[in-house]
Amino acid sequence: MYGRKASQLLKEFASGDSGQLTGFNNELFAQVIEECKGHSQCLEDLLRQSQEEGSNNQTSKKADLHGALIHHLSLVRNKRCLMAYVYNRAEVIQSLGWTIKCGLPEEIEEKLSNSEKEYFKNHSATLRSYMKELDIDLGVDMVPPKDPYIKVRVLEEIGDDVILSDQVANLARHAILYLRRTDAEEYISQGKMEELTV
Amino acid sequence: MDSGSGAFSDDYESLISTTDADLLKRSWRNEKAAPEILKFEGSLVQRSREQIQLMEETVEELMQNGEDPLTVSLYQMDIDRTTFLLRSYLRTRLQKIEKFMFHIQKTADLWARLSKQEQKFARRSIEDMKQHFEQSVLSKLPERYNSHSKQSVISEEDDMAAEPKLDSFVICRTRKFLGALPVDDSGEENPLDMYAGDIYALRYKSIKPLIESGQLDLV
Repeated sequence: MYGRKASQLLKEFASGDSGQLTGFNNELFAQVIEECKGHSQCLEDLLRQSQEEGSNNQTSKKADLHGALIHHLSLVRNKRCLMAYVYNRAEVIQSLGWTIKCGLPEEIEEKLSNSEKEYFKNHSATLRSYMKELDIDLGVDMVPPKDPYIKVRVLEEIGDDVILSDQVANLARHAILYLRRTDAEEYISQGKMEELTV
Repeated sequence: MDSGSGAFSDDYESLISTTDADLLKRSWRNEKAAPEILKFEGSLVQRSREQIQLMEETVEELMQNGEDPLTVSLYQMDIDRTTFLLRSYLRTRLQKIEKFMFHIQKTADLWARLSKQEQKFARRSIEDMKQHFEQSVLSKLPERYNSHSKQSVISEEDDMAAEPKLDSFVICRTRKFLGALPVDDSGEENPLDMYAGDIYALRYKSIKPLIESGQLDLV
């Protein structure tokens, strides 16, 4: 059936958790593209055929035109599905750009297509250049602050005598300490610390 | 309750008693709740940033003078909150731009609501997105179907761009008596008496002008 593969593609995306990416389905994607090309070919053939037949045979001409319409509509539908697939994934990638500052973790990267990787790079650069121009970091402070200090546990060795905005701390692994939220957030987003809820 | 008779003096009083922090909070709430992007509060953002800086200097000074840590931390908390508002405000706007970039670009009215930096951001985002579409899908499609804004060459208008849903419902609070408002465009006469402080759930489209003129707040 025309258009089934394209809808499969979307279903696959929609069945994943929101905000999570599954691997880019290159195979199915390419099949849909092929289907589009097929439609385009049939469409042209039918249109040519109906032109050649001229006006002598009204019934077959009508049939050809209706056939052409079906191919056109299927093509447009496939296009919408492909675009929706790419666009919705791109939205997730955009949201990654907000939280991830330096390079993508491997497990995400392998799920992206080449173009998506490039898009992530370009878009996060765009985002960064906006922040730089305004000299404000929008990647921190994602939740409204309750207390200027939060309790965190260091998950990864960060180093001795790290200079923070109000203290020099020894950020050894497993250490639990109170830090200024603005200081801690950077490490939390890199996965080097976790916030302990009291 | 304000019946509208002393509207001018009330306005004036509320004006001088409203701090920038209140204004920022209001703009932030409106921006958060509105489905479309609102006008950029350029001077407010500027003022807020200056205030934050000033407060930071004050805190620095207090700390050097050996002020009571509690006082300092209260100041610090205030700074943190204001910075959060500011960041969240700017962030929300950028996220809307990310979402509706093509729509914003082609609508002059919306485009004019962005700050210079946001316009730059939008322009670059559009370039990135176009390039990504081009590489992933469009270059592989037949010629007459490879536009990012139209489904095919025979589409008369752009029918592929995401647009904000202006008829979605929002919760709003009136700031002063507004009288009877026709809030329904279905043709039925259904005016709503709106008193100060009332809270309603209405379609965004029908109250849009009131939000823009600051008579209604979104919550």
